[in-house]
Amino acid sequence: MQLYLYGHSLKEMLRMRRFLPWIGVALFTALMGLVWPSLVPESSAAQQYADLSSMLIFRVLALASAIYTTSIVSQEVEQKTIVFLLTRPVTRWKLLAMRYLASVTVVSIVAVMSALLLSAVVFRGHIGDNGLLSGDVKAIVIGAFCYGALFLLVSLLSSRAMIICILFAFGWELSVGNLPGDLAYLTVFSYLQALAQHPATAGGPKAKLLTGDLGTTAITPALGMQVMVITTIAVILLCLWWFSHFEYVPREDAE
Amino acid sequence: MITLQNVSRWYGQVIGLNDVTCEIGPGITALLGMNGAGKTTMMRLITGQLRPTTGALNVLGMDPFSNSNVYRRLGYCPEIDNFYEHNTGRQFVYYLARLAGYEKPGAQERTQKMLQRVGMLERADSPIASYSKGMRQRIKLAQAMLHDPDIILLDEPLNGLDPVGRREFADVLGQYAAQGKTIMISSHILYEVEQMTQSILLLHRGRLLATGDLHVIRSLLDKHPHQVRINTSEPRGLAQKLTSLPNIVSLNFMPEGDAIEVQVREPNSFYESLNRLIIDDNVKVSGFQSPDNNLESVFRYLVEA
Repeated sequence: MQLYLYGHSLKEMLRMRRFLPWIGVALFTALMGLVWPSLVPESSAAQQYADLSSMLIFRVLALASAIYTTSIVSQEVEQKTIVFLLTRPVTRWKLLAMRYLASVTVVSIVAVMSALLLSAVVFRGHIGDNGLLSGDVKAIVIGAFCYGALFLLVSLLSSRAMIICILFAFGWELSVGNLPGDLAYLTVFSYLQALAQHPATAGGPKAKLLTGDLGTTAITPALGMQVMVITTIAVILLCLWWFSHFEYVPREDAE
Repeated sequence: MITLQNVSRWYGQVIGLNDVTCEIGPGITALLGMNGAGKTTMMRLITGQLRPTTGALNVLGMDPFSNSNVYRRLGYCPEIDNFYEHNTGRQFVYYLARLAGYEKPGAQERTQKMLQRVGMLERADSPIASYSKGMRQRIKLAQAMLHDPDIILLDEPLNGLDPVGRREFADVLGQYAAQGKTIMISSHILYEVEQMTQSILLLHRGRLLATGDLHVIRSLLDKHPHQVRINTSEPRGLAQKLTSLPNIVSLNFMPEGDAIEVQVREPNSFYESLNRLIIDDNVKVSGFQSPDNNLESVFRYLVEA
């Protein structure tokens, strides 16, 4: 049953109509990989990849997570199809957990696909030369879990989850990580950067702003992993408990 | 099978269901009420989508909220007309069969059987987006009954069905009821409901106005005398004899000249008296009917009360 739920959710999320835009996004990151060397000709391929990965791949990760994860519950409530799911003999937490895992899988696929394409372009087809790729893949998967858990919680609590999550992904994550002091500890991005171990950008302030290098943190990969894992587990457990105990009915239908 | 004990449900400051106490057992029970009466709220409470604000609700002896043990034995056809539009009817029913706990072969078999039962085999492999209202209704019915539940709740299931479809659907429900299953059906098509059951629950503005057998409820409505139309070739002679009976409230001659309509109290006593008149006084009566001894009249009288 759980496996079927996971597989069905995965199939739905990978439908061409839903997945095609993400192929477009991945191609755009690859295109940026072609253009970037002309903007910063003095930097190495690894540096170019690191900058573009921080600027684009991790933003794609947050965006894809916001879109896929909020659809797990919100979309079903808005489309009123949630009633078919919640009146079946499937424990609510299992239903949510399987759909969450499916969304994490798809978000990881989207971001890793973008990273691979970018890497292929920047390293001229020699993906194996990219020493940062394995760290990125690890950070992407961890990030998909963590962003997914956070955004899922928002979608369970708010009817405007998508807006809130996108504001978080592009407002909070981009700006707070660049602020002086310890505020960067409050962003997921900072921990993911610690896991990915990208070198600091060689570009100017604008490049530093976009890659999140203005803030100063001393997050080690080990700390990054611990915080991400603990946060994800705590938030997802809260989500599962919440979804099992509260009502989810099509809102406008309430008599 | 289903018991509600002083159940109320509030939506903020608006009450959806107000202090309802009732029991629903095997057979078909009609849940009636105007829009906003609380029918859907009651359905959602019984299906465990909502929790009562106050009171106690039991389905098969269990609290239904988010309860898989209840859902194994409960089928629900919601009023909403929303689906995964890109799915075919077969995919949709199969998906819900899998969620009902069937493995692949069992789910395929149940899907096929239910699609056949609701008359959707031919169009089962077309996308739901291309279905008419009636087809969508049939698919909803198929998913509600596919796991052979003991309790079936149907929220406005007759909407969009053509007369033949309604007849077939009523027959299917009749078969389920004969097997001892509990079926609760909400509808505003009173005539159709009346063909299926005499057992009703009448909600009005969140309150339970009446519950039980339609004719018993009607007989208790003393404020509204029963109308009895008597077809006879001798309306004047019959009228003269009827005026001597104690239960007659009023008497009207029909414009057609071949019938009279009387309003009576205690209809059973009146029918006995009428029998005696026919036998003893050789009054010629070709037929009689009670035009307000039906669901629509009971509904109207109760709601107006």
